Amino acid sequence: MVLCVNNVSVSLERSRIVDGIDCQLKAGELLMLLGPNGAGKSTLLKAISGDLPYGGSVTLSGRELGQWRPERLARQRAVMPQRVEVNFPLTVEEVVQLGRPKIASGRSDLVVDELMNELDIGHLRHRLVPGLSGGEQQRLQLARVLAQIIDSPGDRLLLLDECTSALDPAHQQMVLDLVRRLAKAEGMAVLAVVHDLNLAAQFADRLLVMKAGRLVHEGSAREVLTPELLDTVYGFTARVVELEEGYPMVVPRRRGPSSAYTAPVNPSCRQAS
Amino acid sequence: MIRDAAGRLGFAPSLVVALLAAALVALVSITSGAYPLALGDILSVIIGREASDPVASMVLLEVRMPRFLLGFLVGAVLAVSGALLQGLFRNPLADPGLIGVSAGASLAAIAVIVLGNTWLGGWLAMTGEWALPIAAFLGGSCTVLLAWRIANRSGQTAVATLLLAGIAINAVAGAATGLLTFYANDEELRSLTFWTMGSLGHAGWDDLLVGAPFMLLALLAAPWLARPLDAFLLGESVVGHLGYRTDTVKKAAILVVGLGVGAAVAVSGLIGFVGLVVPHLVRQLLGASHRVVLPLSALVGGTLLVAADSLARVVVAPAELPIGLMMALIGGPFFLALLLRTKVI
Amino acid sequence: MISRLLVWLLLAAAFGSSAQAGDSPRVVTADGAITEIVYRLGLESLLVGVDTTSGYPEQTESLPKIGYLRALPFEGVLALKPDLLITSEQAAPAENLERLARAGVQVEKLPSARTPEAALERIVTVGGLLGEAEKAEVLASELRSKINRIQQASATRGNPPTVLFILAAGNHSVMLAGEGTSASALLDAVGAVNAVSGIQGYKPANREAILASRPDAIVIAESTPGQFEIGSWPEVERLDAWQSGHRLVADGMLLLGFGPRLPDAMAAVNEVLPAPSNVAANDS
Repeated sequence: MVLCVNNVSVSLERSRIVDGIDCQLKAGELLMLLGPNGAGKSTLLKAISGDLPYGGSVTLSGRELGQWRPERLARQRAVMPQRVEVNFPLTVEEVVQLGRPKIASGRSDLVVDELMNELDIGHLRHRLVPGLSGGEQQRLQLARVLAQIIDSPGDRLLLLDECTSALDPAHQQMVLDLVRRLAKAEGMAVLAVVHDLNLAAQFADRLLVMKAGRLVHEGSAREVLTPELLDTVYGFTARVVELEEGYPMVVPRRRGPSSAYTAPVNPSCRQAS
Repeated sequence: MIRDAAGRLGFAPSLVVALLAAALVALVSITSGAYPLALGDILSVIIGREASDPVASMVLLEVRMPRFLLGFLVGAVLAVSGALLQGLFRNPLADPGLIGVSAGASLAAIAVIVLGNTWLGGWLAMTGEWALPIAAFLGGSCTVLLAWRIANRSGQTAVATLLLAGIAINAVAGAATGLLTFYANDEELRSLTFWTMGSLGHAGWDDLLVGAPFMLLALLAAPWLARPLDAFLLGESVVGHLGYRTDTVKKAAILVVGLGVGAAVAVSGLIGFVGLVVPHLVRQLLGASHRVVLPLSALVGGTLLVAADSLARVVVAPAELPIGLMMALIGGPFFLALLLRTKVI
Repeated sequence: MISRLLVWLLLAAAFGSSAQAGDSPRVVTADGAITEIVYRLGLESLLVGVDTTSGYPEQTESLPKIGYLRALPFEGVLALKPDLLITSEQAAPAENLERLARAGVQVEKLPSARTPEAALERIVTVGGLLGEAEKAEVLASELRSKINRIQQASATRGNPPTVLFILAAGNHSVMLAGEGTSASALLDAVGAVNAVSGIQGYKPANREAILASRPDAIVIAESTPGQFEIGSWPEVERLDAWQSGHRLVADGMLLLGFGPRLPDAMAAVNEVLPAPSNVAANDS
């Protein structure tokens, strides 16, 4: 196992945000973490990223996180936070190279070049980051975290917090496809927080569903994404359609009357007309 | 050729230009001054021969030389400290003056001057001629730490809080300084005027001996922080993700700034604007990577301060303008022009 | 004194310093009162530069200004190629004075004068430094007799009158002169006492303290003429002393310099002090 999370809890300002989570992740596996807003997904990810203190145990390659030397840990575990704001005039290439502390700047780095091309930011390499669109910045951050661990020996863990939230559908596909390919080819373990159920169904090996700090479901997309679960966890009604591509698709039902909706007319408007 | 693919000035050519500018300003500051020296005399002194003017060697070697070196060091340290703080706080407004570090350093120094004979007698006995720089260093470090503590909540630096904290720290330090001034006697007041206006007018080898070790240490330590500080630009949590010990980096940066600014304030009083203007200018021209910003800020800061000082001592000759005043006169409008021209910080 | 000057001349000659060895020395003064002495002795032709506290007489305007006497520049002073720098013990920074001395400038730091006797002594000292000791002695004794006359007149007063001494410097603020200041020294000289006790040096004025002081006379020293506007200080105007005309508004350098104009300053203050009968009336 690359990652073992045992009975992990996180409390923030005296309220328990994450409550006794257990999960495991093996090399080459792409695990996606689902759940409504406030379920504790990002908090759990931050605990595993070392950003928040936690109770319980988190081990990477069998070793408790706190016992790793930071610089060693950074070669095995990469973290893409939900938001990274860059206000200073760094170029795209400079930011990606921050993931490669061993390579002297200015030296061409094949890994960095390839990742930038794969993520469709190669043409932006000399642009300043503050001037880029949200989607471009998100791809750039992904390039940086991938560059950090992609060629390290040993177990590697990639933690992604909503890494496609700012992307258009084509780039969402491109990015998750790359992540999945790398997971399989390089044996990277990936834990990703996502909101888009259909992307999760399409790309994840396994899904975890959290609600109110607890793990409520775990399994394949077909097992987890059921109308009942969507109703109990998210509180919305949906059909789940089995696609011929081999994974399910969630089709939410529209709320309220579906046709011939007439808005109430404001009396004052009627008078005026 | 000069500009790189990103349209910025290249590091190597910029370094050469900055070194040339530093050399030029060194030449100007050593050859010009209120006291007229013949070129022949200057050359004679440089090659170690007897000059026709008996005071030529004294003016050059004992006054202009240490003054140039001290000015350059102070300018370099202030600019590098500004760059470090701006990286640490991810905020281009964080300058030693603005967040109160300089005020803290000078308050500590003034306290030593005024209370040295009474309450702080033990301090003087303990530290001897290092009393002022060490006190200024402690004052500077404590202030950075305080500003940091106040502005940092759960790993995020609240920019507005930082600036408000800086204003409050400046106000408190200013009031405490005023209080000390109120109780100072005439002779102590005389030493105080120098601190508040900033001056290199008294600079000599002994100042250099006292201040230079601290400032050089700060300048030499700064490059080690370049990479982690680049990571800081992406946010404090990213620093840890990239394998740097966030806390250690922070403390080291605070120590370096306290050390450098403390020593700079101890030997030259309060000189503003260098820490704000210089890193900003360097970032505009060369980008934000600290491996570029730190060395070039040092060179440009030193050059700018020496240039301002050279001007300050000839413009109203035989009198001199306080260097702090001169810096604000040059730096203020320059900074405004820079802000008008650029959109990205 | 003359011998000291001779020693210096020899030194200058030994250094090969240009042709002035036989000429009169080039002098820089850094202290308003000392500059006044030089002018009063008619030796202003020796002056090649003065500091910014030297604003009297007006002719000083045409001389190069070397800055404030507490921040004397080394090169600026040296550039005037002075043979002699006469200044007071307030001069700073010490490093630059020491360097000037090493560069061959004779640096004379005279003690601040806080009594008429010290003021006269300083005149003699300055005269001696400039090779005009006799002239200075004559001036000093002339001033001494004026001072004596004033002091004899003031001695006839029984109780010493109380004086509120205000320093108007900077905008919208005034300072009260306390103990250990030239102001209280001037009051001593004319047999008056400070109406405000318990303050050391010059401290920002407390309006209530002004009212509470109930002085017999008010003296206001301005650093620039017309600086003190009575309209902004109703509590000063309210004082009996102001209403009854026992008031003096005068130039700060005149009042506080302790230079050759000291008798004038003393006479001016003495003039506004109430006559003995008035003092008694106020006491009741």
